[in-house]
Amino acid sequence: MDELKEQYMTTQFIVVRYGDEQFGIDIKYVDNIVRMQRITRVPKVQSYIKGVINLRGEIIPVISLRLKMGLADDEITKATRIIIIKLESGDSIGVLVDAVEEVVTLEHSQIEKVAYDSKDTKANFINGVGKDRDRLISLLDVNATFTDKDGQ
Amino acid sequence: MDVTQYLEIFLDETKEHLQSLSDQFMILEQEPDNMDTINEIFRSAHTLKGMAGTMGYKRMQTLTHDMENVFSEVRNNTIKVDSAMVDLLFQCLDALEEYTENIQNTGDEGTNDNEHLIKALNDYLAKNSGDGAPQPAKEEKKEPAREEPKQEAGADAGKEKWREIKLGDTEISVMTEAKKQGKKCLGVTVYVQESCILKAARAFLVYKALEELGDMIVSVPSAQDIEDERFDFDFSVIILTDADAEAVKKAVLNVSEIEAAYVGEVELAQPEEATQPAKAAEAQPKAEEQPKQTVPAAPAKAADKKPISKPIVNRTVRVDIEKLDVLMNLVSELIIAKNSLVSTSSQEGILTNNTFNEQIEYLESVTTNLHESVMKVRMVPIETVVQKFPKMIRDLSKKLDKKMQLIMSGEETELDRTVVDEIGDPLMHLLRNSADHGLESAEVRKERGKPEIGSIFLDAYQDGNNVIIEVRDDGNGIDVEAVKQKAIERGTITPEQAENMADKDVIGLLFLPSFSTAKKVSDVSGRGVGLDVVKSKIESLSGEVEVKTKLGEGSTFIIRLPLTLAIIQALMVEVGGEKYAIPLGSIQTIEDVEPEEIKYVQAKEVINLRGTVIPLIRLNEVLDNESTKKPDENLLVIIVKKGDKLAGLVVDELMGQQEIVIKSLGNYINKNKIISGATILGDGEIALILDTNALL
Repeated sequence: MDELKEQYMTTQFIVVRYGDEQFGIDIKYVDNIVRMQRITRVPKVQSYIKGVINLRGEIIPVISLRLKMGLADDEITKATRIIIIKLESGDSIGVLVDAVEEVVTLEHSQIEKVAYDSKDTKANFINGVGKDRDRLISLLDVNATFTDKDGQ
Repeated sequence: MDVTQYLEIFLDETKEHLQSLSDQFMILEQEPDNMDTINEIFRSAHTLKGMAGTMGYKRMQTLTHDMENVFSEVRNNTIKVDSAMVDLLFQCLDALEEYTENIQNTGDEGTNDNEHLIKALNDYLAKNSGDGAPQPAKEEKKEPAREEPKQEAGADAGKEKWREIKLGDTEISVMTEAKKQGKKCLGVTVYVQESCILKAARAFLVYKALEELGDMIVSVPSAQDIEDERFDFDFSVIILTDADAEAVKKAVLNVSEIEAAYVGEVELAQPEEATQPAKAAEAQPKAEEQPKQTVPAAPAKAADKKPISKPIVNRTVRVDIEKLDVLMNLVSELIIAKNSLVSTSSQEGILTNNTFNEQIEYLESVTTNLHESVMKVRMVPIETVVQKFPKMIRDLSKKLDKKMQLIMSGEETELDRTVVDEIGDPLMHLLRNSADHGLESAEVRKERGKPEIGSIFLDAYQDGNNVIIEVRDDGNGIDVEAVKQKAIERGTITPEQAENMADKDVIGLLFLPSFSTAKKVSDVSGRGVGLDVVKSKIESLSGEVEVKTKLGEGSTFIIRLPLTLAIIQALMVEVGGEKYAIPLGSIQTIEDVEPEEIKYVQAKEVINLRGTVIPLIRLNEVLDNESTKKPDENLLVIIVKKGDKLAGLVVDELMGQQEIVIKSLGNYINKNKIISGATILGDGEIALILDTNALL
């Protein structure tokens, strides 16, 4: 990609919260944000798959990023949302988040790439850190996070 | 010349003709003197040649032309068909198929001239009928076409159909105007060769040629009709042009496959009523005889060619399969919506309203019919895939040097288009397998007192909601001990395991990847890529494969496929508070079982149902949830079958039968064998569909 151009390009992120940490999801992947709804459990699948939901006639698997990142299981509250993400493969998936905060626009100069650290499992899901005013937003590497199909 | 719009038709028709050639060659091999077959081959080759020529595929044209020449001689009894010739013909067929494939993939026929085939074909001609042999065939074809116009030019007024064109006032005034300007009004009647395949394309080219010369003012039939091929073999136009009649005629005849063209000046009658009746009277009798024999000059040829015209088929429309998929999805949505109407109507006390219920019932029957119709549209007979097998078996027979025959039945059995498209490869694998591993060599067969020619059977039939395809052979059968040995050698199983394995399980080993018992690797099979591919393919179509075998007597591979992939009737059940759907097709009965009736065999729960011992599967254990029933309560057991295996599924509650739309769980969720999909219930809730075949 063209480095110079990228400097001035901006990307919009949806900021979501897991506990106290804020994560940004590139808006181009986000198809929809829906309220928590009844999730139908699917037996004998990956442990981080919560089940499936019916989104206007489509069956969408719902994933717990918390479980996938090795955090404590999700606590369902009024703020809990399911973010529907459209992957590059064309599949749609739902991701449980504790809450959706806002949408931020970051210039690429505000984004710091993180050095890849293979020991830190959480870092595998993040491809950068966004600096917005005085806070830091971990930017999710959507494709790396959701495209692996390993069933751990 | 732009022919791309005809490419699809060309490909379709070429494939049909190639298939027909293949079929006819098979017959020819059996009955070398069958005149019908020989004629049929001649015609197919001729048609192919014409089509290839039209589309500008020169190599294909040359090859078919030479095939046609040979057959022309065969027809005249100057060459006898022998097996070497049939072999050669099959090779030609392969070459033609290659061309067709190239055309389909790249739009170009490729660069393989297949000179050896052409040479071999010409050798036949030379060998059998002297040097000039290829010539007569050619001339015979071309003479009538070329000579006719010469003989009849100018003389035959009846052929100048343009004289019959009725002119309106506007046209006459336009023509008068044009004449004043020194232009000529020429009437042109064009006869297209009867063997021409793309009449409309020819007519279009003639149109184009004429338009370059002048303005066309009238056309009979209309341009639209001609474009839709709604004309016999001739059409007439009147053009205003500066060119003379000869030039126009030349331009028209420049287009290939044009039999003849008649051009003449249109005389404008001043009092138009005067000439019109006279002309009409003159034309009437001729017009009447015209439709009967369009080209009276060559009656022999015409009679000969008549059967080439395509058989009368039902009017059909070609539809993109994706459009059908969309339609099917819409029907699915409709059924979901209907289900939700049904469930709301039963909940909210609208029950009192009778008309409402009647309408709902009516809606139900309409949606069910609609679904069936859409499903039927998607169904195609498996014939389309199996028809290539006789030739394959013939090739295999030569290659393996074994005598064998393929006997097929039930080719008309219909399956969903998507399934039919996928089923070809697995079937081919199984047939090759039977031919290579199954059938013994002729000597061994003789020793065993079997007929020398080995038989492979391919039977297809419908069984409830399934379609069964059986590939059976009367060969050696599967040697279970050999399989065991092989498995131990490969370390797949230990010798101890082998001791205790049931024959069925041993045969199951064959479906493991890279497992082959063939002692030597041959071209045909034996690389161990066969059966596991077959199995995974069939399973991806929600089907299953089963093997029955008897050593020394043969083996049968049974493929069971669902009739449709999208909508099924299912029994809704509850297990541990969760809803599941069990396809009705696999359910035998539903039993109420007392806890005391449960017996144990090898520490597994079974029940004895009217003399049959049936293993019990507690679904809540399989599905990792808690049964809502107490241990001392009676069990609800659903007896399901898979082939001849039975099992009892223990569920908590029955919720009734429902038509459900199968939805995929997507690629994201790891392939879960026991769940084959999901469906959306009337209230929007999701129920998972259990694959009972995976449970057994």
